[in-house]
Amino acid sequence: MKENILIIGGGAAGMEAATQLQKMGLTPIIVEKSEHLGGHIAQWDRLFPAFHPAKDVVDQMLNQVKDVKTYLNTEVTDIQRNSDGFKAILSNNETIDAKAVILATGFDIFKAERKQEYGYGIYNNVMTSVELENFFRTGNDARINNPKKIGFVHCVGARDVKVCNTYCSKVCCTTALKQACEIKEVFPDAEVYTFYMDLRMFGPGYEDLYLKTQKDFDVKCVRGRVCEVSEDMDGKLVIKAEDTLFGKPLKMTLDVLVLMCSMEKNKSIDVIQQKLGVANNSDGFMQNKDMYLGMNGTAQDGVFVAGACTAPKSLPDTIGEARSVATQVFNYINSK
Amino acid sequence: MNSQIFHPFVLPFVLGMAFVLTYCLVGLIRVILQLPKDDRKQFLRSLVTPKTAWANIRDLFGDCLFHVKIWKRNPLLGYMHSAIAFGWFMIIVIGHIMLFTLKPLEGVEVEGFARTFTNFYYPIFFKYFAEETPVFAFLMDFFLLMIISGILIAVVKKIHSKIVGVKRVTKFGFADNMIRFALWTIFPFRLIAEKTNIMAFWWLYSIDLLIFMFMLPFTRYMHIPTEALFILMRHAGLNAREPRKGYALAQLYSCPSCGLCIDACPMSVNDKMSGNTSAYFMKKLRNKDSDEAKRIAETCLMCGKCVMVCPVSIESCDIKFSQRAAVPYEIHSDHSYLDVISTEAQRSGEISSKDKVLYFAGCMTQLTPKIMRAMKQIMETAGEEYEFLDKDGGICCGRPMLLSGKTAEAQAMIAKNTELIKKSGAKKLVLSCPICYKVFKEEYHLEGIEIQHHTQYINELIKNGKLKVNKTDVNYVYHDPCELGRAFGVYDEPREVIENVGNLLKAKSEKELSICCGGSLGSFNLTQKERDEITSNSVADLMFNNPDEIVTACPLCLKTFARKSPVPVKDIAELFVVHQA
Repeated sequence: MKENILIIGGGAAGMEAATQLQKMGLTPIIVEKSEHLGGHIAQWDRLFPAFHPAKDVVDQMLNQVKDVKTYLNTEVTDIQRNSDGFKAILSNNETIDAKAVILATGFDIFKAERKQEYGYGIYNNVMTSVELENFFRTGNDARINNPKKIGFVHCVGARDVKVCNTYCSKVCCTTALKQACEIKEVFPDAEVYTFYMDLRMFGPGYEDLYLKTQKDFDVKCVRGRVCEVSEDMDGKLVIKAEDTLFGKPLKMTLDVLVLMCSMEKNKSIDVIQQKLGVANNSDGFMQNKDMYLGMNGTAQDGVFVAGACTAPKSLPDTIGEARSVATQVFNYINSK
Repeated sequence: MNSQIFHPFVLPFVLGMAFVLTYCLVGLIRVILQLPKDDRKQFLRSLVTPKTAWANIRDLFGDCLFHVKIWKRNPLLGYMHSAIAFGWFMIIVIGHIMLFTLKPLEGVEVEGFARTFTNFYYPIFFKYFAEETPVFAFLMDFFLLMIISGILIAVVKKIHSKIVGVKRVTKFGFADNMIRFALWTIFPFRLIAEKTNIMAFWWLYSIDLLIFMFMLPFTRYMHIPTEALFILMRHAGLNAREPRKGYALAQLYSCPSCGLCIDACPMSVNDKMSGNTSAYFMKKLRNKDSDEAKRIAETCLMCGKCVMVCPVSIESCDIKFSQRAAVPYEIHSDHSYLDVISTEAQRSGEISSKDKVLYFAGCMTQLTPKIMRAMKQIMETAGEEYEFLDKDGGICCGRPMLLSGKTAEAQAMIAKNTELIKKSGAKKLVLSCPICYKVFKEEYHLEGIEIQHHTQYINELIKNGKLKVNKTDVNYVYHDPCELGRAFGVYDEPREVIENVGNLLKAKSEKELSICCGGSLGSFNLTQKERDEITSNSVADLMFNNPDEIVTACPLCLKTFARKSPVPVKDIAELFVVHQA
């Protein structure tokens, strides 16, 4: 039985789904728009909660998909349903016939410029969590110059009606604490503050990380949101926030401010998604069939979803979904 | 012609007329007595002041009879209103003139006291009692037909309102529908009665008049007599102080529920929200539905567009403010921090050169640092000596407290800001936020200090050569912030600035008719989803000519539009950063 399964997106979800489908005897084909597989996770340095190197996981995944037919720097430009399944046209003008389609298109990072009050793109020393992770990976960032005081702002672009995102982005809380510890490792004398609404430590070992952050790394967690950021004459950042546990406003001067940017739906797939007839949910992510038994299905027969294209997800969540989508697709093909 | 001076069919009319006159007289006295003492004096004095007296006469004719403002909006709608109002007025006037010209009435001798009594109803039923001369007969028929033509348009409008350019119309209850039916039938009955002299139609005509006049005080048609009083009070410069008393009451009764504000209201993006418009607010408040009136007053964005389009010039926003002020909202504010606040310059003792510009960013601009940064660059490039009044986070201008009717709290902040500004020694105050601008212009007493919004300031700097900019091919559209445009008529300066740096395209609705961004501080209880709908509609209006960028001059509009706009949204100050020569 050799049946083509088109997987759009070659991140964690796409790669893991391809691995499983291949083991099941189907023929997965990955179409990835960027020049490499691995998605966002390939840009990451270490993973929470145990500071495990991301490269380790990504390399294992890459190794598993080395025999899978993969198109890099390629996008699906058109897709149509026919009696055999789907016919997709790629940006390199090749055509793929597939029995089923898996959307594993993942997420985009919230554009921090949209929260102008945090000053990203205006003040030099405001950076995003992604840029900080890049610093950990490469050791290069002109903004990080032996900082004495560093702040983290949680929920940037998440749980915020003012940017039209009311959902929780799920992974930023734990990532912020992980990064806070890591920056303390690099600069042990620095003072590190995190500004949170509430800390959502939902997974195994996450709560332990929270305790460790405070006990071992002396990171100060402040419950309250940062309301505005400005720059003083020396180019340092002056932030205003509220400490809701003390019930008092506070003002603080920082060397670096890190914005924990949320996940947003990857909009580059919108046209193809529309052609496939898959709707969005109220958070703007893709709408799956239901939240429980139909989490990998969509309203359209033969169109499946996996990973962060339906909601913000952690890496373990995504891998789990990728494996489950493979089973769903396998059953779907067999029932035909 | 019937040789008699009385017939029982005049009784319904006489009864109705007596009722409505009594009601209006009592109402007039009540409204005047409800005015605060100072207002009453001001009102009575205005009646004998030549300038206001002239304005009174002009508007009594222009607004009550000719409906000039409705003509401007839609000629057919204007004709409909003035045909009925002016036609009716002329019939009454000509009727009375005929009484005097046909003296003594042919066939009937009425003298003395009886004459004044018959005068009361003679002009109304003239053709039954006396014969007209041909000229008058023609005039009477002409105006009667004019009224009927107006009514015909009204009937068509009821079925298909778009014919007069109206999308949404006010929804009426039983009484309003019934009196409307009475009004529509009065004149056809009169025409038939006059032409056929069938008694039944004289009776119908008279009974119709009774129904109309009896229901008048309880329906929207009360605007006919009340509008005259309202015009006089408006010209006296009164302010609505209590939501259902005095001047506000006169306005409530002057609202014809015409619904022109419904289409204008930014909330009318869907049926549900269109129930929050001023036409309904006035109706609910008038009918003492205080829960609904309170809700609508709190929902309103206070953009002022309904006031701008109102053919009667009813100041509905002011009434909503007075409604808000009447509710004791639980706001416990602590203003003890005001005592310790000073500016940087004051702390360092660097006061002051005379040509200094004082810049007040305000809290909304503090949240949009790009604007602050652009303003700094502008003032520095222009070589202006300036002081940044709220660099370390100053005091609020007072607007949010004013919006919630908390005058005393607002005054505490206003007093402290006034002190800081006066101490600075500056001669000019520049503001980036139209919300602040409105408060500084209206509530502050800063004699000798010029208050400018930064659109005006930047335009002035470009004009006198202090700022040099490059003109490019970028297509801009400008959004008029409510509190800069409608409130102060600052329409030209921002447009001049934009024309200096790029092409200015038109939005679908501009200037006075500009649509609120949806982010207004004015509303207390619109949900984010409802606001988003308003914003999307406003953005679509701005995108009418496919501009490359949207430019506004209010930090709140900027933030609100940025959420929904398909193209970049910039403050007018940011344009300088891009186009600096």
